[in-house]
Amino acid sequence: MNESPISITEQLNNILQSITYFVPETALAILFLLVIILGLALKKDAGRFCQLLTLFGLVFVFQRDVQQLYLVLSGPKFLFSNMLLLHHVSIVFKLIFEVLAFLIVVYIPLDQSLKSHKKGLSDLYAILIAVVFGLHLMAMSVNLLMIYLAVETVSIGSFLLVAYQTENRFAVESGLKYVLFGFAASAVMLYGMSLLYAATGQLDIFNGHFLDGLIRVHPVPVSLGIILVLAGIGFKLSFVPMHFWVPDVYEGAATPVVAFLSTLTKIAGFALLTNCLTPFVFFGKWTTFDFRLFFSVISIITLIAGNFAAIVQTNIKRMLAYSSIGHTGFGLMALVTFSQQGISALLFYLIVYAFANIGALMLCSFYAGKNSMLSVEDLRGRGKAHPFAGVCFVVLLISLIGLPVSAGFNGKVLVFSSVIDVYRQNHNVWLLALLITGAVTTVVSLFYYFKIPLNLFLKTSAQTETAIENPSATLLILIGLMSALVILLGIFPSLLANLLR
Amino acid sequence: MDHILTLLIFTPLLFGLVLLLLPVSLRNSFKYVALAATLVQVFLSGWLYFHFQTGASFSGINHAEQYQFAEKANWISLSLGSLGNMQIDYFVGVDGLSIGLLFMSSIVMAVAVLASWEIKTNLKGFFALFLLLDMAVIGVFCALDFFLFYIFYELMLLPLYFLIGMWGGVRREYAAIKFFLYTLFGSVFMLLVMIGLYFSVTDPTTGNHTFNIIHMMNPANYAQGSIFSAHQTLFGLPARSLAFVVLFIAFAIKVPVVPLHTWLPDAHVEAPTAVSIILAGVLLKVGGYGILRICFSIFPEVATAGAFWLGLLGVISILYGALNALAQTDLKRLIAYSSVSHMGFVLLGMASQTTEGISGAVMQMLSHGFLSAMLFFLVGVIYTRVHDRYIYNFRGLASLMPQFTVFVLIAFFASLGLPGFSAFMGEAFSLIGAFTSASVNGLLPSWMAICGSVGILLSAAYFLWTLQRMFFGETRLSGGETWRAALTDVNFREKSALIPLALMALVIGIFPSLVFSKINDSVLALVHLFR
Repeated sequence: MNESPISITEQLNNILQSITYFVPETALAILFLLVIILGLALKKDAGRFCQLLTLFGLVFVFQRDVQQLYLVLSGPKFLFSNMLLLHHVSIVFKLIFEVLAFLIVVYIPLDQSLKSHKKGLSDLYAILIAVVFGLHLMAMSVNLLMIYLAVETVSIGSFLLVAYQTENRFAVESGLKYVLFGFAASAVMLYGMSLLYAATGQLDIFNGHFLDGLIRVHPVPVSLGIILVLAGIGFKLSFVPMHFWVPDVYEGAATPVVAFLSTLTKIAGFALLTNCLTPFVFFGKWTTFDFRLFFSVISIITLIAGNFAAIVQTNIKRMLAYSSIGHTGFGLMALVTFSQQGISALLFYLIVYAFANIGALMLCSFYAGKNSMLSVEDLRGRGKAHPFAGVCFVVLLISLIGLPVSAGFNGKVLVFSSVIDVYRQNHNVWLLALLITGAVTTVVSLFYYFKIPLNLFLKTSAQTETAIENPSATLLILIGLMSALVILLGIFPSLLANLLR
Repeated sequence: MDHILTLLIFTPLLFGLVLLLLPVSLRNSFKYVALAATLVQVFLSGWLYFHFQTGASFSGINHAEQYQFAEKANWISLSLGSLGNMQIDYFVGVDGLSIGLLFMSSIVMAVAVLASWEIKTNLKGFFALFLLLDMAVIGVFCALDFFLFYIFYELMLLPLYFLIGMWGGVRREYAAIKFFLYTLFGSVFMLLVMIGLYFSVTDPTTGNHTFNIIHMMNPANYAQGSIFSAHQTLFGLPARSLAFVVLFIAFAIKVPVVPLHTWLPDAHVEAPTAVSIILAGVLLKVGGYGILRICFSIFPEVATAGAFWLGLLGVISILYGALNALAQTDLKRLIAYSSVSHMGFVLLGMASQTTEGISGAVMQMLSHGFLSAMLFFLVGVIYTRVHDRYIYNFRGLASLMPQFTVFVLIAFFASLGLPGFSAFMGEAFSLIGAFTSASVNGLLPSWMAICGSVGILLSAAYFLWTLQRMFFGETRLSGGETWRAALTDVNFREKSALIPLALMALVIGIFPSLVFSKINDSVLALVHLFR
């Protein structure tokens, strides 16, 4: 390769220039250190202050993200010698991370089982900030090594989050499963990357030589390399067949952590995927590996497996785990359009899914109290004792199913629209198959999601109705806000959709 | 009166919000709030009906400017980057197809509130859901934007699920989810067709894609080579035929057309009386209305090509429903199956695609709305008194409940198509349409009309036989003296619900022109689409 040697001054200049575009991440790193120090310095009430500091920090980072939107008006920027790419979509993803992380940080101490944790929660906030830092990198990285680093940062942090409650046998088991699966997945991904590097001598996927190199090599090793890399990313997205860890981990981990994994890391997976696929989609001569076919098939399998497996679950968190696999399939459907409109639809769908899913998990915390194994049967007849929570649950589930009038319905319409729009241009039969699978699995999802209202309202419990001991008013307010938001975006989707363009 | 339709649609929602804010200590006033909402609606829709203008320039169907009381406002405007805007309008209006259904629905809703006096538990929830359902139903009949139509259409499902599931009978959970799954299965595919239509049709004035149903009716608005323009294929099948079938299945589930009817008996038997009244009186009409407004108007050429099969399904529904009704021993199930049979006439009349047939179909929908509401109300009267509906457990009710028996006589004779009642007009015109179709457009063979007439005969059989079994003869009740004491005659509230229904059936039967004059122009315009 004819790379001109870059002088040290140029490199230093590049780094110095890049740092101005790296403010939110720098802020997150500083925040991480501050929270650790604060947690160590304060013995009493450390959790409380760390939470406050984290919340303020996240607001600050959010504001810095907004400023970045103006920086990329003139076009996308490569940072740190093409390690990272800052562009409009990645900033939108970062904004989403901050909002959702904020919600989850508020939510964490409201969960009874986490609250009663004897280690305190200050470390949890620190880990969470580190993971958000990793998510930022995932949304921006365009270099194979950087991708690996970002994914690993997120993975290691997530392992700690899942296994945070060490006194709980389930949490330990699920944590260990997660670690083993996670390391296997990253090893596989690393191997795939080495294959791609061997074929091209390039790590920078936006570099012209990378794709040129790939099309000159025999398609089999290249396809193998790509599939292995995608498998590693798929671990984060939890599409079939990389989903085996999901039900166990969701069942065992603390509910707020599940809320984190099922929304933030998943969304980051989509962010990474959109970044990685962009060069391939816009490279006209690319025929080695049909991404559309690959993701169509994966999406169909994921939709079917996730939704049908959810039917037989009785543990609510397990059911939501399988349903979140189904939602990954739906997100992939939007992704395979490879169009601007598809990405907007994907963003809308993911945000709305995240709100509804976090809300539903908050309700799990609400009903579960200290009992971490909440089954649908436990909800029998409890809608009457807490009608407000029950109605909110129904609203959030409607959004997850995608019935009007809810934001989830608009998300579905947008995704279907983008797919149909691409179909009418290229008449690809896989897209039709995707649409039909999406429609059928919607009906299936109604069947299992509605087990919850069925038990809440339609069935009556045999024993006397047990009201929840000191239900948290803050949690209920949060749940109410989520439900209101879901309905508001259901009636006026333009409020959000026009921000995401 | 610029926003009278909006007022009509959202009145229940307004009252529903008031109801939600009332404290539980005012529990006994909830039903009056709901009654007030429905009475306001009856007043508004009555005003609409009498101010509804007729004439060729008010026929509606595929002319947006001919819709009356129309309102249009921007609702959702999503920018799709290079693809322009996704524009969804709040667009409502009425023409001859919907005006009668609006009036009928409002009356049936008021009757349903009177029937819900029997509800004793969780009143706030019941009436809040009831009013939400009311809003959705009226919205469906008014919506002229497909997206809006779909929203209201889907919005009906959720309240119904809870109304059946929470206040229903023993197997209510099963019935509720069966109903929900069935209808949702139909409507998710409708969603796909709706989006496909959106991308096929452009608004001639703005050039954007549109959900406007009226623009979808004009073949000139379809972009060349778009999904649902002429001669396109999907999976090797003609795309427009496929779309028609998908939409037809969605609505046929609602009607219900045999063999998609199996949710109906379960839902009816388990639902409380008020919900049965709404189901039979109003919701089945949403199916019939959807077939006319969406399937037939947007895909007229497919409707003509498939008329034979539609007619066949209609005939099968008539006969299969009637034969099933004959075999029932549960009074409510019997009436549920009679609904299947009577709605078959609607499909047969539509399939003939003649002016008589479609007028008959619309008439039959109105008539069945009043009569089925009356029938289910009457079943509810017995059921609330003794909690039993098994036909053979009753005998000689006529001497025990004379006034009740009079209402039953009216309802039964009206339903079996006695001249002078509305059902006669509806069924007769549907059959005339089916008969003349052979000579006018050659779509339906005349044996279909003959089979339809057999259906009337069968309905006479099951109604008269039921009358004989339950009401005539010596009084014998399986519940003995306790039942005899419980079976008091109809009270003031029940009479005030039954009398308007009986009167409507009679008035329409004697002066059918009250209806025909309002719907005729629209029916003519619709028939014109088929040519």
